[in-house]
Amino acid sequence: MAFEFRLPDIGEGMVEAEIVRWFVQEGDSIQEDQPMVELMTDKANVVIPSPRKGVVLKRFGREGEVVKVGSVLVVIGEPGEVPVAAETGVEAAVPASATREVSAPTPGVGPVAPPGRVLATPATRRLARELGVDLRQVSPTGPHGRVTKDDVLRFVEAQRAPAAPAPPPPVEAPVVPVGPEERIPLRGLRRVIARRMVQSKRTAPHFTYVEEVDMTELVRWREQMKPVAEAQGVRLTYLPFIIKAVVIGLKRFPIINASLDEEKEEIVLKKYYHIGIAVQTDQGLTVPVIHDADKRSLLDLAREVERLSKAAREGRLALHEVRGSTFTITSLGKLGGLLATPIINYPEVAILGVHKIEPRPVVRNGEIVVRSMMNVSLSFDHRVVDGAVGAEFTQVVREHLENPHLLFLQM
Amino acid sequence: MGEGILTTEPMVQVLDEEGVVVDPALEPDLPADFLWRAFEGMLTVRAVDERMLMLQRQGRIAFYGAATGQEAAIVGSGLALEPQDWVFPALREVGVALLRGYSLQDLAHQLFGTRDDILKGRQMPCHYSDRRVRHVAWSSCVGNQVPQAVGTAMAARYMGDPVVVMAYLGDGATSEGDFHVAMNFAAVFRAPVVFFCQNNHWAISVPVSRQTASKTIAVKAVAYGMEGIRVDGNDLLAVYQVTRRAVEKARSGGGPTLIEAFTYRIGAHSTSDDPSRYRDPEEVERWRRRDPIERFRRYLIRKGLWDADREQALVRSIRDNLMTAIQTAESTPPPPIESLFEDVYATPPWHLREQQAMLEAYRRDKALWMDP
Repeated sequence: MAFEFRLPDIGEGMVEAEIVRWFVQEGDSIQEDQPMVELMTDKANVVIPSPRKGVVLKRFGREGEVVKVGSVLVVIGEPGEVPVAAETGVEAAVPASATREVSAPTPGVGPVAPPGRVLATPATRRLARELGVDLRQVSPTGPHGRVTKDDVLRFVEAQRAPAAPAPPPPVEAPVVPVGPEERIPLRGLRRVIARRMVQSKRTAPHFTYVEEVDMTELVRWREQMKPVAEAQGVRLTYLPFIIKAVVIGLKRFPIINASLDEEKEEIVLKKYYHIGIAVQTDQGLTVPVIHDADKRSLLDLAREVERLSKAAREGRLALHEVRGSTFTITSLGKLGGLLATPIINYPEVAILGVHKIEPRPVVRNGEIVVRSMMNVSLSFDHRVVDGAVGAEFTQVVREHLENPHLLFLQM
Repeated sequence: MGEGILTTEPMVQVLDEEGVVVDPALEPDLPADFLWRAFEGMLTVRAVDERMLMLQRQGRIAFYGAATGQEAAIVGSGLALEPQDWVFPALREVGVALLRGYSLQDLAHQLFGTRDDILKGRQMPCHYSDRRVRHVAWSSCVGNQVPQAVGTAMAARYMGDPVVVMAYLGDGATSEGDFHVAMNFAAVFRAPVVFFCQNNHWAISVPVSRQTASKTIAVKAVAYGMEGIRVDGNDLLAVYQVTRRAVEKARSGGGPTLIEAFTYRIGAHSTSDDPSRYRDPEEVERWRRRDPIERFRRYLIRKGLWDADREQALVRSIRDNLMTAIQTAESTPPPPIESLFEDVYATPPWHLREQQAMLEAYRRDKALWMDP
């Protein structure tokens, strides 16, 4: 007789898990305790061993799919045996494209208990008993059709007053495709990015401030320094200079190197300067962190930027290398555009977006001259940073990029 | 990360990592059978842990917390107790109960929550308790058992019972208010209690460096006016010696002792935890090399007491007993559903009677009902 292995709740209160990797194929012989599949739950990656010896008759769910607790994952039987209840698994496994169900039941729209059974807490039952209300006649609004105290009170109220028309049930617009579509499951890094961005935008009221920076002097400097750095095996980009200028600004305006502890209603001023660098990878955006940027030389910063970007693109960043940033810089390089509205790397309170450097006509001493110009777009969390402070900070950063010799003062 | 400065502090050691006696004055003079019993105790804990982790992943039991790496601390301290002593455990001390008459069958029934479970299937797996072996239920809340143990010890002293109470706790529990309250009461009232703190370096994902700014946990005893002692928790003989002394002292009216067993949690906190997310694998590897069972085996070899066949037979018999216990538990039905209404009120109040009537109606005619 075939044995259906259903996904157990291997965490505490787990409802689903994502299939990471299968170790067995259909038709494989399998020993008791032999690894069958690796799953990813909210908390952990776990390997599920087989509970018995036999042959894998059927497997449900592809790698990357999300399976529900209680759905059939594997059918194990004797060689040649045909799985009887094979269909159950297909139904239970959630296809990758399907929306995840919200686990919290919505009040009022849960299944209504059938006649004869009333769900209610003892306190509600007592209230009903005292008011002489038959709980079976009360329409429930609680989860799973539970009658709440309010329902009982409303019922009593309604008995007294003429019945008001019930509000119409909320109408959910069905999603009907109007043309060919493709659905890509939201997984891994993409899902993390989606969650983080929503959290940032929903939590922090952003304002964005754009300024242009005359990089002519710095371009010249960098040209001179580049071969020296190269001789030491380092590719010197503009980023180390920008990091330096930012750190100077952060030291001048500690409120920008901060986060907001909403629970305690406290602003946390960070006494360390860990600068996040947004890096585009094949999987999506990653933000490796340069720790203690204030204590590093330009060369050191350049080296670290290069090392972290490489590790990010190869997906080899360690946990501590993506944690703890206090301010983030995002640079689109040649795709830099004119201006952007960067989203803050929450819970930080500010982000600097760097655009491309290009020759532009500008007015100097009443004359039009061509200078190497670069725009910067900064977003701030307005709960913590006022407009004037954000602007002043930007001016400090600009000043140090336009007059790189000022950087010496901070060395 | 988990270690730092703490390793440099002195601790009592009898055996080094090679199983060589480093302090002959401390080496206990124990008969071969006793040493083998200790060895068996450690092998049993490890075998149970390995098997149960597997069963949990197969969905056969709901939860498990293993003690891998801490076997010497558990068995060494458990062996120092007398049958009349009471044990207030934390998550990982079932090995102590197993030394004192709790059977593998009792354990399996508890994990599966069967009809024959002493606790009627009402406790979470691994939250063992058995009055017969004076092993008190753990509430799962960190550190709650410590003042309970002190209260029991104070009662015993008041009644004139020659009982010692053993309170097990982890490094995380030392950050709880309960710990301080318990230590203070115990010292002031000279309660016959031994605080056995298994400093396994990790309270789930929180390293011991985030629990205390003290150099050791043992040093905390000083402020309460009791003796604190740090012992190599992976050295069974050292643990036994230190605990034995503390237990005897407590029994003879000498008051409490805080023992810090310096050890390490090799595995996850529990089956709901994934330590690779917060712990350096190299740290785990370092501690694997200090395996308490291997150290004790080397000691037995050096003493000329070890015998490969005997160990093999022992492991086989542990495994057979365990398999039988699991099979029996797995084929035992759960406790009767009526038992849900028992043991809280002497006379069930109206709402429970009403619920019981509903339950009976439900079982009579399931078709009318729907599961939420």
